[in-house]
Amino acid sequence: MSELLVKNAYVIDPVNGINGEVMDIAIRDQWIVEEVGSGAMVIDAKGQLTLPGGIDSHTHICGTKVNFGRYMSPEDMRAGRMPRRGSMHATSGYSVPTTYGNTYRYSTMGYTTLLEGAMAPLEARHTHEEFTHTPLQDTMANTLFDGNWAIMEAVRDGDMRRVAAITAWTLSAVKGFAIKLTNPGGTEAWGWGEDVTCIHDQIPHFEVTPAEIITAMITANEMLNLPHSVHLHCNNLGKPGNYTCTLDTFDLARDLNKNRQTLYATHVQFHSYGGSSWKDICSKSEEITRSLNSKPHIVFDMGQVLFGRTTTMTADGPMEFNLYRLHHNKWSNHDVELETGAGIIPVLYRRSNLVNSIMWAIGLELALLTDDPWQCCLSTDSPNGAPFVRYPEIIAMLMSRRYREEEMSSVHPGTEHRVPLPAIDRELDWEEIAIMTRAAQAKALGLIDIGKGHLAPGAEADIAIYPIQIRDVDPSVDYMKVKEAFATTAYTIKRGRVVARQGDCVVDGINSTIWVDPQVPPEYDISNDPEFVKKFDRYYTVRMRNYPVQDVYLERQVCLRPEVSL
Amino acid sequence: MMRVLLEVKPRKKPLLPIEAECITPASFLEERDLTVWKGNRELMLSNVFNVSVTGEVDSVDGVEVVLRGETSRIKRVGEYMEGGRIIIEDDIGMHCGNFMSGGRIEVHGNAAAWLGREMRGGEIICHGDAGDYCASGYRGEKRGMRGGRVEVCGNAGDFAGEHLSGGSLIIHGDAGDFPGVEMRGGEIMIFGDCTRACGNMTGGRCHVFGTVHEMLPTFRNMGEVVHEDTGQVLTAFRGDVANRGKGNLFVGNYQYME
Ligand SMILES: [Zn+2]
Repeated sequence: MSELLVKNAYVIDPVNGINGEVMDIAIRDQWIVEEVGSGAMVIDAKGQLTLPGGIDSHTHICGTKVNFGRYMSPEDMRAGRMPRRGSMHATSGYSVPTTYGNTYRYSTMGYTTLLEGAMAPLEARHTHEEFTHTPLQDTMANTLFDGNWAIMEAVRDGDMRRVAAITAWTLSAVKGFAIKLTNPGGTEAWGWGEDVTCIHDQIPHFEVTPAEIITAMITANEMLNLPHSVHLHCNNLGKPGNYTCTLDTFDLARDLNKNRQTLYATHVQFHSYGGSSWKDICSKSEEITRSLNSKPHIVFDMGQVLFGRTTTMTADGPMEFNLYRLHHNKWSNHDVELETGAGIIPVLYRRSNLVNSIMWAIGLELALLTDDPWQCCLSTDSPNGAPFVRYPEIIAMLMSRRYREEEMSSVHPGTEHRVPLPAIDRELDWEEIAIMTRAAQAKALGLIDIGKGHLAPGAEADIAIYPIQIRDVDPSVDYMKVKEAFATTAYTIKRGRVVARQGDCVVDGINSTIWVDPQVPPEYDISNDPEFVKKFDRYYTVRMRNYPVQDVYLERQVCLRPEVSL
Repeated sequence: MMRVLLEVKPRKKPLLPIEAECITPASFLEERDLTVWKGNRELMLSNVFNVSVTGEVDSVDGVEVVLRGETSRIKRVGEYMEGGRIIIEDDIGMHCGNFMSGGRIEVHGNAAAWLGREMRGGEIICHGDAGDYCASGYRGEKRGMRGGRVEVCGNAGDFAGEHLSGGSLIIHGDAGDFPGVEMRGGEIMIFGDCTRACGNMTGGRCHVFGTVHEMLPTFRNMGEVVHEDTGQVLTAFRGDVANRGKGNLFVGNYQYME
C-alpha cells in the first residue's frame, strides 16, 4: 500500500462541481480516497492549478497508419530528437514521434488517458503493441467500421441485430473500445473507383448509403450499451461547401442516451467549409455551432489547425488522395481488406495561405461559438491539424481575445472577410478549459464511472498540477504565461504515482488498455453464424481463429462488459 | 593567416567512426574546448588528433585547417562551415561539408557518402572518388544541394545530386545509378557514364557526356544539339514526363533497357 497526499491544491474538478477550491487530495494506491494516514508522502501543490489528468478523446498515436507516417518521413524523425535521460528512452519525431516521444510529451503536459482515433480491426495487434510502449497513459482504440462488408450487408438487409452482433464480435475480438466511422462507405466506394459526396450517395455493390450506415451503427451502439457513442468522421472532409453535408449528418442523430451524447463528431473544423471552390471557401462555423447548440446529444472535437509542419493521416483514403493532388509531395495509400483503408501525406500549413488561415480560424470559432463546453473537446486531431504538443497555444488563444487578434494580424489578409472570428469577444475561463481538456472527454467516452476525469474519492488518481497561480493571472493579458503553464506540469500523477515532474518523466510506467466486451447472448454470437463464417473464410487473408487479438498483446487491461439489449 | 594541423593519433580501432562536426575553420577562431563523439562517448578533440595551431587571424577567411592521417572514418567535417579552408590530405568520412554555405574544402583522397549534403554555398573539390549521395538531400528531404559547387575528379557513387535544387555538381569520371534523381534545379555535369539518369526530375540541367545505360523511357527526345564548350554532339531530352517534369537532360550516348 502506498499513500500520497497532495496538499494546498487549487482544484478545478468540473464533474464534481468544484471550481477553484484550495483543498488536499488523499491518494491510496491508485485511487483517490477520503483520507490517508500521517505517514503518507506529501506533495505541496502551493496553490497551483490542479486538474484531473488530461484526456485526449481523439489523437493518432499508435498503429499501422501512424507507423507508416513515421517511416515515410525520416525528416520528421530528425526534427524531435531527445537523448536518453534518467528513466526516459531516447525519442525522435515531431509530428509523428516514437511511442516514447508521444507518451513523455503527453505526460509532461498532464495527459493520462488517450483515445487512438482509428484502428483497423485487422491490424489491431500493431496498435496494441504500440500501446504497450506508451506506458504513461491509459489507452483505448476507436475501431473502424466504415467499410465493413458484413455490416454493410446487414444494413442493406435492415437487420439491426445482426449489425450489433457483428460489431460486438469485432470489438471484442480486436479489443477495441468504440465504433469509429471514417467517411462511412466513402473509402470502400473509392476502392471501386467511385466516390461519395454526401450521406445519400449509394455505395457501389452494397446498395447502402452513408446515412444508412451511420443510423444503423448509432442504433447498434445503443443496443450494445457501449460506454462511448458512435465516433464519426463525416463524409466529404476538407471540401469547400461541405458544411451542408455536416448539418445533414447531425440531423440524423436522435437523443437516445441519457448519460451521454448519441453522436461524437470528430475534427469538425475540417467539415465546416462554405463556398463552392477553393477560391470562395469561407467559414460556416456559425451555421455548424447553431446546429450543435440545438442538439445537446452531439459532442464534437475541434480539429484545430495551427500553422507549421505536420503529417495528415486518416482512414479517409480518398481525402488524402485529393490532398496529394494539391501538394504533389509524398503520399501513402493503404487498403484494409473488408474493412477500411488509410492515407497519409505530410503537410505544411502556412499563415500566408488563405485556405490554411480560414481553417485556423474555424477551429477556434467552433469552440468559442459553442455555448456548452461539455459539447466541445479540445483537439487538433493530432497530428492532422497540428501535433498535440501545441495544445497550450490553443488554450491560450481561447482564453485571450488579444492573443487571437495578434495572431489574426499575421495571417492571410483576406481571412477576416471570410470568417466571423474577429467579431467574437468570448474568452473562455479556467473551468471551461478544464471541461474541454478532460471532463467533457471523460463524460463523452463514458469513463467517469471507472474513475476517469474527476477527483472525488473513488476516482483513479490521475492528476495534473500546473505551475500557475490562477488567481494572480489574467489570461486575457498574460496569455504567454497560460501557454507556458499548460506546456509543462509541476507534477503529473498517474495511478497514484508521480510520473512526470517539471518536464522530466521519472518512472517507466505501465500502460493500461481499456476495451469493451459486450455481453452478447450465445444465439447472437456471429462467429457461429454460417454465412458470416463462410464470407470470412472466403474473403479475408487470415483465418477467423487467428483474427482475435490474444491477451498477451495487452500489458494491463480494463475490460468493460456492457449488458446488451438485442 | 592561421594554420591548424590536425593529425590523427594512432587508434586501436580505426574503423570506428568519429563524429567531428566541430571541425570547421570558425571553431578555431574562438578559444573553446572542442569535442568529438565516438559512439556514445564524448572525447576531447585532442584525444583523437594532435592539434597544432600556428599564426593568428581575426577573420574566418584566413583560417586553413589541414587534416592528416587516417581520416576515412572521421565524419561531418566542415558541417555548417561558412568560410575559410579545409584541406584533407587523404580520404574523408561521410557527411563532409554538410550544409556548408561558404569557404572551400579540398579532399585529396576519396570522400565517403553524402559529400556536400544539402550544401548552400562554397566549394568542395574531391580529387579522388566520391561515395553515394554526393551533393544530395538526406533521407526524406526534398532539397539536396541548393548552391555552391562540388567537383569530383574521380567517379561518384549512386544517387549523385539526388533532389538537387541549385548549384553545380561536376563529376569527371563515371556516376553510378540514378544521378540527378528527383532533381528540381541546379546543374550536373558527368563526363563519364552512368545508369538511369535523372529519374523523376522536374527541373534543372544535367549533361552526361558519356553513355547513359538503362536510359529511362519517360524522357522526350528533343533532337540533337551541339554543346557550346566542348563541341560535342549531344541528344537533348526533356522530362521526367512521368513526373510532369520540365528538366533538361543532354546525353552523349544512351541505351534503353532491353
Ligand atoms: Zn483523426
